[in-house]
Amino acid sequence: MFSEQAAPTAQGLLAPPSGEPPTFPRVAVEGYSDLSQPFRLGERSFSRQYAHVYAVRLAGMRPRLERRARGRWGNDIALRRLSELQEGEKCCVVGTLFKAMQLQPSILQEISEEHNLVPQPPLPKYIQPSDELMLEDELQRIKLEGAIDVQRLVTGTIVAVYGCEQEDGRFLVEDHCLADLPPPLPWSGPSSDRFVLLASGLGLGSMSGEALLSTQLLVDVVTGQLGAEGEQSCAAHITRVILAGNLLSQNTQSRDTINKAKYLTKKTQAASVEAVKMLDEILLQLCTSVPVDVMPGEFDPTNYTLPQQPLHRCMLPLASAYATLRLVTNPYQASLDGVRFLGTSGQNISDIFKYSSMDDYLEILEWTLLAGHISPTAPDTLGCYPFYKSDPFILTECPHIYFCGNAPRFQSKLLQGKEGQRVLLVTVPDFSATQTACLVNLRDLSCQPITFSSFGADSED
Amino acid sequence: VTYKWLSYTLGVHVNQAKQMLYDYVERKRRENSGAQLHVTYLVAGNLLQNGHVCHKVAVVREDKLEAMKSKLSTIASVHVYSIHKALLKDSSPLYNTDYDIVKANLQHCSKFSAIHCSAAVPRTLPEAPRAPAPAQSPPRQRDPDAASTVNGHGPRAARPPPQQHKGIMGMFAAKAAAKAQDTAKEAKAEARETPGVSAASSKPLTKNSIMNNFFGKAAMNKLKANSVPEQPKEEKEVVKPSVAVAEAESSPNTVAEKPGKKAESARIQQKDKKSKTKRADRSDDEEERDPENIKKKRKRIKQLVSDSSDEEDVPPSPTPEEERAPSPAPEPALKTELEPASTEVSAGGRKRKRKRVLKSKMFIDEEEGCMGKAG
Repeated sequence: MFSEQAAPTAQGLLAPPSGEPPTFPRVAVEGYSDLSQPFRLGERSFSRQYAHVYAVRLAGMRPRLERRARGRWGNDIALRRLSELQEGEKCCVVGTLFKAMQLQPSILQEISEEHNLVPQPPLPKYIQPSDELMLEDELQRIKLEGAIDVQRLVTGTIVAVYGCEQEDGRFLVEDHCLADLPPPLPWSGPSSDRFVLLASGLGLGSMSGEALLSTQLLVDVVTGQLGAEGEQSCAAHITRVILAGNLLSQNTQSRDTINKAKYLTKKTQAASVEAVKMLDEILLQLCTSVPVDVMPGEFDPTNYTLPQQPLHRCMLPLASAYATLRLVTNPYQASLDGVRFLGTSGQNISDIFKYSSMDDYLEILEWTLLAGHISPTAPDTLGCYPFYKSDPFILTECPHIYFCGNAPRFQSKLLQGKEGQRVLLVTVPDFSATQTACLVNLRDLSCQPITFSSFGADSED
Repeated sequence: VTYKWLSYTLGVHVNQAKQMLYDYVERKRRENSGAQLHVTYLVAGNLLQNGHVCHKVAVVREDKLEAMKSKLSTIASVHVYSIHKALLKDSSPLYNTDYDIVKANLQHCSKFSAIHCSAAVPRTLPEAPRAPAPAQSPPRQRDPDAASTVNGHGPRAARPPPQQHKGIMGMFAAKAAAKAQDTAKEAKAEARETPGVSAASSKPLTKNSIMNNFFGKAAMNKLKANSVPEQPKEEKEVVKPSVAVAEAESSPNTVAEKPGKKAESARIQQKDKKSKTKRADRSDDEEERDPENIKKKRKRIKQLVSDSSDEEDVPPSPTPEEERAPSPAPEPALKTELEPASTEVSAGGRKRKRKRVLKSKMFIDEEEGCMGKAG
């Protein structure tokens, strides 16, 4: 995108100083509205049980699933609750999936004295051939078997299964379906090229000189300092930068100082302090030139449970002075220029990755969209706030751009739905590892990765 | 020498800086003066990678330039990135140069860029919060925010660079104001007043101290100007307001603000002098002190990177506020207040440090504070 427009004046700056160099005004942002209100928690009370989350989730998604089931298996199928099941009768049941996994880290196992077990080390994947699926609804649960992929599905998904109950109390599944894509949103995207830069995993606080230079190059390209005139004018079309989480690196998380004696740690400060200062400076440079949305991630100083609340403004004093800085929640939803964005910092996807046989982040991203829920594993294996009124993670409308941060590599796909939905799925790679960010063109929903590199001990790329 | 460094140092547009570097290289090479110059270039373009077209931006050494250009299918831009005498092993010197120069010019880092964003204007915080009677609430001022909200310091507000601080400080000031109200002890009459500053409330100041640290001395100056006659502790109390202001100004961030600050400081000083009677309340000056303390704290923190000992930070931190004046007494009181305030500061590490620095003064402060309160 950049290159074609910029090519003509590529070599322009290899010349003696010319007259007054042009300054390009940044394209104004119009039509931005922050729609992540459902993800903001007001006063939080953790005295409730998590069972309510599942109850509201099921209640919220049941109508949609029933519609889908009717559409798929015929209008006259019997929709039953688990308590109404009769043996041998073909019917359809809507419920929540539960996968019983042997390797799933369980706190009860850990603290169980008699077993004398050491805590289980974190594994990349916790799936095993012996995992079993169970379907639960409001009152009962039943074991599932049959034409259903146990390895692929995760706990917390709402599904509709079609089959019949066996004598031994198990449900033989003939077919199952997910909620499928939510209803589409009208498209009113911009008519000219508008770009949004998606980056995640800046990983400040532990970076080497190379990686820091790459971050600086990123900031320079966006603020228009780098590049010849053509490239700078293209960069002026970047209307927004979204930083999708993990602004600090994992190294800032070390909590060794808690265990050490006070006199040893008196003069030390948390590694995150330095990292936040660096982040503030980088954000300041960006904010003076482009609106920035900052989403917290797994290693950022905010709450652990989803939905993560925005970083506090006082941590970024320099940058908060600018109205162009927006500290937003994770997950984040916004409408920019008529294009609906929805994305997370990647914790939901990586959690599903651990408990499912799906390996590809893009595939998992697409699957969550088809399942109609941003993070099905939320209360089970991923921290979540005990919602009881409604589950904000249910997808009620289909976004135009659905992204997840901190993926191992960049991938993107344009998904076309049956009802005319067009979704661009983007897995934003971890910048500290890959030095790659994504540029999304809002006009035609295309995406291009942009890589930065400098020269170091290793000379090639 | 990178193009960015040149651009900031000479105050020219970045594109011009790049062209200047190129011109210099060409001329030197033509002259064949013998000094070997190593040049790095920035190349950007499209590259086919992993099956999709990826836009690559790379800093390459001169010898790799052609190789990189041939790898890219379309070249979007090529320009000189930096020039140096010695061959660089890696790019960390480049980063360090840029980092230093940007850090020194954080406030206007987009001035020489090719893109100007009209939406990026610093927020101006509402002045309101507080400002309880100017005479009364001096202590609060500490916040740099207060500075912005300071009623008396209208002119100050006018200055653009402080705007930014003010905005943030204003926010804190508001909080501080609320807090200030609560803390009667702080009530020191900040004669210095700068009532507006006091409004900022010392409490917020402490909180702001972290922020203050960021804002640097400039912010502190403002506060100081307002109220802090007492801040002496760190430095020279005797310093005249203008001088102090100047020193405060020296803080990296706002050079431009100096003149403004000085003026204001001077004004404030006068005000303070008038309110000498309030001096007794020095304890209330905490607010004033807060800014100073905060400044001190800030300074300390800022300097944390450079030197580890907190103590050192204190002396060097030229809190302009000090100029205010000789009120050592209020200082201690403020300090005391500052201390507790500092504890409130969220940064744990910073808190620790701040406490340390102030601890030594704590004793004096406490006494003063007590006395002030009694008085």
